[in-house]
Amino acid sequence: MESYLRQCLAKVRAEYAEIRWEEIRSVYVHYVGKELEAIRELREQGGAIRVKDKGGWSFVSFNNLDRLPHCLELAAKQASLIKGRAIKLAPVPVVNKIFSLSLKKDPRQISLEEKYQLCTNYNRILLSSPQIQTSDLRYEDVCTLKYLVTSEGTYIKQERMDTVLGMTAIAKKGHNVQSAHEGIGGIGGFELAEDKEKEAEETKQRALELLKAQPAEKGRYTVVVDPKLSGVFAHEAFGHLSEADFLHENERMLKIMRLGRIFGNYQLNIVDDPTIRGEGGFYFYDDEGVMARKTYLIKNGKLTGRLHSRETAARMGEAPTGNARAISYQFSPIVRMSNTYIEPDRMTKEEMIAGVKKGIYAQGFRGGQTNLEMFTFAPEQGYLIENGRLVRKIRDFNLTGNIFVTFSEIDAVGNDLVLFTGPGGCGKGGQSPLPVSTGGPHIRIRNLVVGGK
Amino acid sequence: MGVNKVENILELALREAEQAEVYQEVSQLTTVSFQANRLKSIDNCFEGGLGLRIIKDNRIGFSCTTNLEDIKSVVQSAVDSAQFGQKADFRLPGKQKFPQVKCVDSRISSLQIEEMIEQGERAIKLILKEAPSLQCEAELEKSLMKANIINNQGLEYSYDKTVYSFALYAFLAQEGNFLGIEEEEGSCQYQDYWQSLAERIIEAFHWCDQRAKISSGNYPVIFTPKALPLLYSSIGRGINGKIVQKKVSPLGDKINQLVLSSLLNIQDDATISYALASSPMDGEGVPSRSTCIIEEGKLKNFIFDLQTASLMGTETTANGKRGFDSLPSPSVSNIIIKEGRVSFAEMLGEIKEGLIVDQIIGSGQGNALMGDFSVNLDLGYKVEKGKIKGRIKDLMITGNAYDLLKDVKAVGKESRSVGAVRTPHLFFPKISVSG
Repeated sequence: MESYLRQCLAKVRAEYAEIRWEEIRSVYVHYVGKELEAIRELREQGGAIRVKDKGGWSFVSFNNLDRLPHCLELAAKQASLIKGRAIKLAPVPVVNKIFSLSLKKDPRQISLEEKYQLCTNYNRILLSSPQIQTSDLRYEDVCTLKYLVTSEGTYIKQERMDTVLGMTAIAKKGHNVQSAHEGIGGIGGFELAEDKEKEAEETKQRALELLKAQPAEKGRYTVVVDPKLSGVFAHEAFGHLSEADFLHENERMLKIMRLGRIFGNYQLNIVDDPTIRGEGGFYFYDDEGVMARKTYLIKNGKLTGRLHSRETAARMGEAPTGNARAISYQFSPIVRMSNTYIEPDRMTKEEMIAGVKKGIYAQGFRGGQTNLEMFTFAPEQGYLIENGRLVRKIRDFNLTGNIFVTFSEIDAVGNDLVLFTGPGGCGKGGQSPLPVSTGGPHIRIRNLVVGGK
Repeated sequence: MGVNKVENILELALREAEQAEVYQEVSQLTTVSFQANRLKSIDNCFEGGLGLRIIKDNRIGFSCTTNLEDIKSVVQSAVDSAQFGQKADFRLPGKQKFPQVKCVDSRISSLQIEEMIEQGERAIKLILKEAPSLQCEAELEKSLMKANIINNQGLEYSYDKTVYSFALYAFLAQEGNFLGIEEEEGSCQYQDYWQSLAERIIEAFHWCDQRAKISSGNYPVIFTPKALPLLYSSIGRGINGKIVQKKVSPLGDKINQLVLSSLLNIQDDATISYALASSPMDGEGVPSRSTCIIEEGKLKNFIFDLQTASLMGTETTANGKRGFDSLPSPSVSNIIIKEGRVSFAEMLGEIKEGLIVDQIIGSGQGNALMGDFSVNLDLGYKVEKGKIKGRIKDLMITGNAYDLLKDVKAVGKESRSVGAVRTPHLFFPKISVSG
């Protein structure tokens, strides 16, 4: 494969060219309620070409390897149509590396029967109460073999295995429908999805208990958020704003996101780190062949870094960070997060709650979105806090705010960092879902808008 | 990909299974992207693959691939999965008469990349002339697709489809005041979108010249077509046969009951000429049709595919949607909301103090199945004494899709397409706003 890709690439006349080739094999099992909606094996292979000549990027993707020479010609022809926009790439070392998998339990060696039994068992637990109306259970293992060759000489072959399990229980009483969700897994083998009976039971219980919760009343509150939510908060509210492709060609944004700007208190540190093994956003090299590294986005409350592709790094005169990722061969690599989290500090969860006169303790995560200034996200459930005590379970609320204001309202950072992967992932520029991890300790945020009844 | 290979797979599968179907899609997607006001990239995405569905010992099996050299393992995977698959309660359709649905335009097939570049440049130039502080992104897409289905019941059919779409986004970052305006249109027929999209962005930009304030409370509100999918998506789930079958749809037991305002008429229709989700058949070879969902506020039908319909003891509505890599599942096609009689200007004239909701963030979060939403107003305007007074922001809009759509004050008389939804403006007497 290496020599074929190199040979084909050698014929391209352009400033820069690269070929990626991927072979994907996956098994997917999906229950909704009692019915098995899907159990299937997917085999997919495809390639991507990116060429840069005097102007912008030309990209071609394809399934049939025999078509590679033809697609290269097309890519070069397309590249010539883009004029007058020189793109520079930050220099990176040429590498020649092969990374193979070492798995505890290789899902490719596990029978479909065993995967079916595992899911059937968890699904039975999720459904094991008359008040559970339905469930949604997804298991997926995806093995991806990726090749990258570049006209600069780099050759990287990486193999990766994602094994994830998502469990949702939906409880219903009259017109009240409540759901609880648990996401499990990351980079690794079948062992990541095994022995999760306890988690299935807890998910079911959470859905049942939510039926008894009261709708939250809208207003402004001090909110203590759990690690699941603080991670999403780091990712949604701040991570996206740190992606340099939103900044590098926008003078106004660059001024707003100047390094050194104070975003939060001294104890606030936010990190993106693709080098954490086992997490969803783990990789050795990104899809441009840049080595993964840890990047501080916020250090001691100050903006200290951002996430780069080779293009954005060159344009902004900063070092590349290895954050150019593509969800598959059908897409160009763009600036993405990996494992994004808030670093832990000292406070305990109990201390944080004890210091709140009237507020909300928010747990779990149903969804989140940002437009680079405002963010909104929906916790799964929560408790009303009065005089330092959890007094009542609440449901159906979400949190919203202005990113540039809210980070300075974080007045306490907990000591209990947890990272989460699970199924799903991040969406950007039509590329979704990209495996990422998010995490953090408990944090406390003052003056947050809570939407509810 | 060769037809022979597809027939081989079917033949091989039928040695193992009672019923078999091969669904194949081959497509080419050409995208021209502009960033920071300039041409940034040109993409061409060739994709092809097939899905094999079998029914063996009365159970459904499925597998899919992009590699046609690997016929045996595709069949074996489908057979393996059939051991565990759902019980099949239906027969695959035989030879059918398909409606004539227009979804190909040769003007799109022959559209050149250079033309797409020019269209993008024109749109951005027009915006920058009127609003030089904006920074524009544009994405022009041309898609050519061929779908092909063959099964053991004698069905053998294929159709082509062309789509041209144009998405335009203008952004202005100011400290404490970010503004992003997006407009998008697309159809199976070529249209010069550049001017109308650019003009809508310029109009929105001028409405944002002033900032306005609104205090927390309940106000009359106009939802633009762009904002309405927030509400329709809950209805779309509620009428989905699969969700009804799982007994979690709030509409499950409401056929022939008044569930929305009597001013509303909603149709699911995959046969409309050149509409985005139009095609002569659905993903399992059932001829496309038009299905009445809501008639004067009354719920008339749910949407089904073959399997879900048979589980519910009814007929498919030809809503079995799929790609080559998945089994069919019920999903809406084109959703058409019938126009009413009131113009946008007349709606404005009715408002003493209220707002227009145009873009929101946070849809689909929270308890969307039951219709609840609580979203941040991304782009919205204050209306005072019938006039647009300026942009309002940092606000939450809270409500329930079902409650709002039960209480519609007026339906607009001009429709616009937003993705595969075609809807006029809707005017509601009140919505909860909080800051």
